[in-house]
Amino acid sequence: MPTSVTAARQFLTEEAARALDEAVAVARRRSHAQTTSLHAVSALLSLPSSTLRDACTRPHSSGYPSRLQFRALELSVGVSLDRLPSSKSVEDPPISNSLMAAIKRSQASQRRHPESYHLQQLHSSNNNSNATGCSQTQSIMKVELKYFILSILDDPIVSRVFGEAGFRSCDIKLALVRPPVTQVSSRFSRAHCPPIFLCNLTDSVSGRVGYNLMFPRQEDGVDENCKRIREVMVKKTGKSPLLVGVCAMEALRAFTESLTKGKYGILDDDLSGLIVISIEKEINEFVNEGNDEKMGLKLKEVEAVLEKSNGSGQGGVVLHFGDLKRLILDGVLADFVTSLVLKLTGLMEVYGRRLWLVGAVDSVEIYRKFSDKFPSIEKDWDLHLLPITSSKTSFDGAYPKSSLMRSFVPFGGLFPTPSDLRSPISGRNQSIPRCNLCNEKYEQELDAVMKSGSTVSVADQYSENLPSWLRMAAVDTSKGEGVAKTNAGESMLSAKVLGLQKKWNDICQRLHCTPTFPKLDINPSVSHVSIVDDPQFSTDKKQRRGDDLSINESLFPKQSPSRQVHMQQNFLQKSTASISCTSKGRNMNFLSGLSLAQQTDKGVSCFHYPQQSLSSSSGCTPSSFVPPVTTDLKLGTIYASTSQGSITAKSLNHKENLRHFSGSVSADFDANSETTSHQFAQSPACSGPTSGEQFDLGDYKSIRKVLAEKVGWQDDAVSSVSQAVSQLKHRYQSSRGMNCKGDNWLTFFGPDRVGKKRIASALAEVLFGSRECLVSVDLSSQAKVGQSNSIFECEELNGYDVMSRGKTVSDLIAEQLRKKPYSVVFLENVDKADYGVQNSLDLAIRTGKFPDSCGREISINNMVIITTSAMTKGNINVFCEKKDTKFPEERILGAKNWQMQILVGSVSDDVCKRKDTGVWVTAIKEASTSVSANKRKLVDTAESSELEKAEAQEREHKLPRSCLDLNFPVEEEDEGDTDTRSGQSKSESLSESSESWLAEFFRQVYKKIHFNPFDFEGLADKIVKEISTQCERTVGTGVVLEMDEEVMVQIVAAAWFSEKKGALEDWVSKVLGRSLAEAGHKYELTPQSVVKLVACEGVVVKEQAPGIRLPAEINLK
Amino acid sequence: MGYNLLEALNVRVVGSGDRYLVLAHGFGTDQSVWQRILPLFTPSFRIILYDLVCAGSVNPDHFDFTRYTTLDPYVDDLLNILQALGVERCAYVGHSVSAMIGILASIRRPQLFSKLILIGASPRFLNDEDYHGGFEEGEIEKVFSAMEANYEAWVNGFAPLAVGADVPTAVREFSRTLFNMRPDISLFVSRTVFNSDLRGVLGLVRVPCCVIQTARDVSVPASVAEYLRTHLGGRTTVEILRTEGHLPHLTAPALLAQVLRRALAR
Repeated sequence: MPTSVTAARQFLTEEAARALDEAVAVARRRSHAQTTSLHAVSALLSLPSSTLRDACTRPHSSGYPSRLQFRALELSVGVSLDRLPSSKSVEDPPISNSLMAAIKRSQASQRRHPESYHLQQLHSSNNNSNATGCSQTQSIMKVELKYFILSILDDPIVSRVFGEAGFRSCDIKLALVRPPVTQVSSRFSRAHCPPIFLCNLTDSVSGRVGYNLMFPRQEDGVDENCKRIREVMVKKTGKSPLLVGVCAMEALRAFTESLTKGKYGILDDDLSGLIVISIEKEINEFVNEGNDEKMGLKLKEVEAVLEKSNGSGQGGVVLHFGDLKRLILDGVLADFVTSLVLKLTGLMEVYGRRLWLVGAVDSVEIYRKFSDKFPSIEKDWDLHLLPITSSKTSFDGAYPKSSLMRSFVPFGGLFPTPSDLRSPISGRNQSIPRCNLCNEKYEQELDAVMKSGSTVSVADQYSENLPSWLRMAAVDTSKGEGVAKTNAGESMLSAKVLGLQKKWNDICQRLHCTPTFPKLDINPSVSHVSIVDDPQFSTDKKQRRGDDLSINESLFPKQSPSRQVHMQQNFLQKSTASISCTSKGRNMNFLSGLSLAQQTDKGVSCFHYPQQSLSSSSGCTPSSFVPPVTTDLKLGTIYASTSQGSITAKSLNHKENLRHFSGSVSADFDANSETTSHQFAQSPACSGPTSGEQFDLGDYKSIRKVLAEKVGWQDDAVSSVSQAVSQLKHRYQSSRGMNCKGDNWLTFFGPDRVGKKRIASALAEVLFGSRECLVSVDLSSQAKVGQSNSIFECEELNGYDVMSRGKTVSDLIAEQLRKKPYSVVFLENVDKADYGVQNSLDLAIRTGKFPDSCGREISINNMVIITTSAMTKGNINVFCEKKDTKFPEERILGAKNWQMQILVGSVSDDVCKRKDTGVWVTAIKEASTSVSANKRKLVDTAESSELEKAEAQEREHKLPRSCLDLNFPVEEEDEGDTDTRSGQSKSESLSESSESWLAEFFRQVYKKIHFNPFDFEGLADKIVKEISTQCERTVGTGVVLEMDEEVMVQIVAAAWFSEKKGALEDWVSKVLGRSLAEAGHKYELTPQSVVKLVACEGVVVKEQAPGIRLPAEINLK
Repeated sequence: MGYNLLEALNVRVVGSGDRYLVLAHGFGTDQSVWQRILPLFTPSFRIILYDLVCAGSVNPDHFDFTRYTTLDPYVDDLLNILQALGVERCAYVGHSVSAMIGILASIRRPQLFSKLILIGASPRFLNDEDYHGGFEEGEIEKVFSAMEANYEAWVNGFAPLAVGADVPTAVREFSRTLFNMRPDISLFVSRTVFNSDLRGVLGLVRVPCCVIQTARDVSVPASVAEYLRTHLGGRTTVEILRTEGHLPHLTAPALLAQVLRRALAR
């Protein structure tokens, strides 16, 4: 039965009644039927000088800024109010029973505290001149606002709302009961009045013991600076702190103040009973007025005190001389300073043990000036320069976090509450009894460590296999494995035992002592299973895969439920009866959305307890979540599964599922998912839906046929490549689970870049069903920028440079690998790899995992990695022809994709003489440049930057190439090679090591294949022949066609590069033929005319002829 | 204690070589920020990596709000780590706040450090009468309230600003590590940093220093590098990197590595 507002009002003092009115107004605005405590809270908070608001700020117990917390509070009040049903608006919503009850309660409690009531009444009447209410109706106990608020806070709804915002209503209550002594807003003063904690209510020293309900406050507001000063003072020598720093004066003042107040903890037993005597004022007086009498008196006083304390053997004097700057004076005053310094020195000599001089100075420079005058001052005064960097020290403490805030903090709720945290930094040790299982494990491992004497524990071995960055990640995630593995081994051995102990303690605690993880609801069987799940099971491939999956899943406890269900289904499908109980147990874990300990193959526990960083909402999951299992189940598993078609199918299926979110969650995961299954050497049934034409991989001949079709001119290389690939396949099939690191690595030596690339892409098609499955990176150019006008580079993405900025080459490669997990990886010019790439490749060939610079790894076991090098070193088969080649490969590679044009002139004499065939190739330099001069200018201005870039690139590109000229003998080439490498290498000083690295790298490569140089001469001859017949056909025999050498190079390059059979012939007959015919019409060519085919330098081909990188049209002039 | 500390702060020692090199990350990052630099130095140095206690990769419960109120406890941590590892002499590379920490550490233990390399260092971020630190007090308060109001939004706004150069991956990486920090810790630490003032104590440094500064750094004006050079007590050189932003080790690792190598060789 609600009470009317007026009835309720009469129980309240005017102040409280006003608050009630506000509450009623709130209820009315929201058209609620009744006024409840919540309305009252809302009203109280919105009052301009709200007692409640003040009270909330005062406990200062929040780890969060109070403003933020207030917003949270307002929000949660608002939300709760919104939940109340609204009705048609009432004039004055009556007071609800609960609020009325609160008023009654407050009345009662006020009655129980007559003194405070009285005091408060007095207080309020002092403040409030019109507080006549109390005298008017003495008969009814009028409730003070304070008590009103107190009892409202008792209301469970209200305390829940406060709790949601991270306040503890008991804190607020205490703050209300004990109003602050002085309302000073400075942070410092706050540090001086002891925080109001529950236990402090009783006050007294004993109360201090209990304050660890909260975070242990270090020393009741003693700040860091004071602590440091104290540390100096307890020293034997150099015990007079001279604070140095801009804030030094403030810090000094804070220190002396707290010392004068005799605060607890500032000085411990040794230093208790010290008296602070300041001569700061006296110094000032002297400096300003030249009056040194007082100083003399003061020093006498000091001496007296010292005499006394010397006699009693305790106490002492802290002589505070203030800012040292004041003592740097010139003239007459300098004498005074000298005498003062001498006096102090004298005091120090006599009473050194009981006297501390303290002072401050803005900066060292000033101190130096001072010490120049008094060179021995540091020793005489026993000074210790103490850098002070900050004066505002104690601010916000850390406290019960608001539940709203908690949502910011991923997994915040899973961390142990602060009170039971063992903070390693504070160095407290707790002994936690391990359970038997864990103890056993611990002892085993300890044994292992002790016996071997090496610094490698099981855990370390396991992580040894990881690349360094992953290792770090492992440290991040599984603290247990900690730092023990660092190279500074010896010094850590003893520490390691401790570490082991702790590790197993941790493990045990996490697994078996559920209380620390309040939400982790593991039933015993589950934890048991995960413990037993050990190497002896490792033969069971399926089990292992099961583990893997569950790791994957538990790594992402936050993923959407639907996916989890999905995963579980997959998982269940696969789990066999033998592990079904496990899987059930696991499922429970998945459902609870928590990660649980998993065993890796090596039998090392690895605990992924949810870390805060995990769910950084930006979606980039940090590297630390690479599960330390990955590839070890690769081959064995695969082949086990290929024998059972159904399972493979499922795993494929599963892989697809994994892929679904691999993109959105993390790349590591992606890499991981690959390990579940799939090999490039899978049986045709598994080779993926994309493979249109399927090859029997075992069949060497068929591979060879395909390759030879693509690269007809490299017979030897084609046969060795096909041999290698078929062998590779064979080996995979015969050696299940065998360590095959480096087996899928091929190296192509020698020239013919196009041929190598063509073979790589053909392999991609053969092995993985699509030419898209080729990852091609040229390691020679640091940032892979597409050269838009070169024949060979224009296939590269033009946006590449944007992507690659700020990335290392390893990252670029890794990114590509991640995108194409089943692919042929084609790394050109491996000899030019920078250090980072070398590192990555090194690891990749040894471990089968390619690390990017973040330490994330991509499994490359499903790839064929082809590295190329233009070197022919160490190769006897390739004979370097000394023959003078007109078209060295570098020149062809540098060919530009320029527009061509036809010029018509008349025959010059020498041409006449030489003329017998219709076509020849010359360097028509002058002509081409003069013709295109204006054009080039135009182009230059238009796309100068681009061109410049391209040209710079070109130069860079050409430089190394020129050294690969086959015209040079091998020895020379080697030399040149090294030179350029060191010139090019990004980290110059490391280049010397790259040679040896290369040798080592090539040693590990499975197969080295040598390529022969491409016969450009032959091709050129063929082209000339082709063109001359065309020329004869269109314009008749008499006409001479002169071709610029550049054009020739361009055509040769295009023909070399073109994959389409007959594309060149097509071009000659269609494009060139048409142009010649047109020229014939236009200029009426006679046998005396010379037709010149030249390149318009600087004008890039706009339209390309089909199948060949040559212009679709030739300009006519 | 030593071991616990090493563990809590994810201390790692990698690489081979006679000399120790400490790589200390700055505010808003963790030790992974050195990943691009690291491989270039592992062959010639034993590199000590650790996370500041405020880093996102450290269990936030280790962050004692009553302890880490000034930079000194961070210095304690550093010195404790070096002691626990038995390091007697090392070169130190510190970025931003770690540069400050390095300065203080070298004041306390001058013999421990053979060389300080300070990247994006500033003794004081706030402007003063005759000192340009780059920030006005009012601005800082605005930043703080922005952090309080919406940490994520602040991170997303601040990260590109700090990174400076147009390098999306670096921005992403920095946002990641920045967002990993618990908002309250992040705010607390930045308050600590902005309250710190090392100007007076620079003269106490005796260790040779190399100040590495990018051409444009949103947090540290160019004049600061010069200020450091004139005020640091030891032999000090200044290197200006031809790149932008506060995090050259993310945006221009190769460039920075070159300069580091040169500085370490001296």
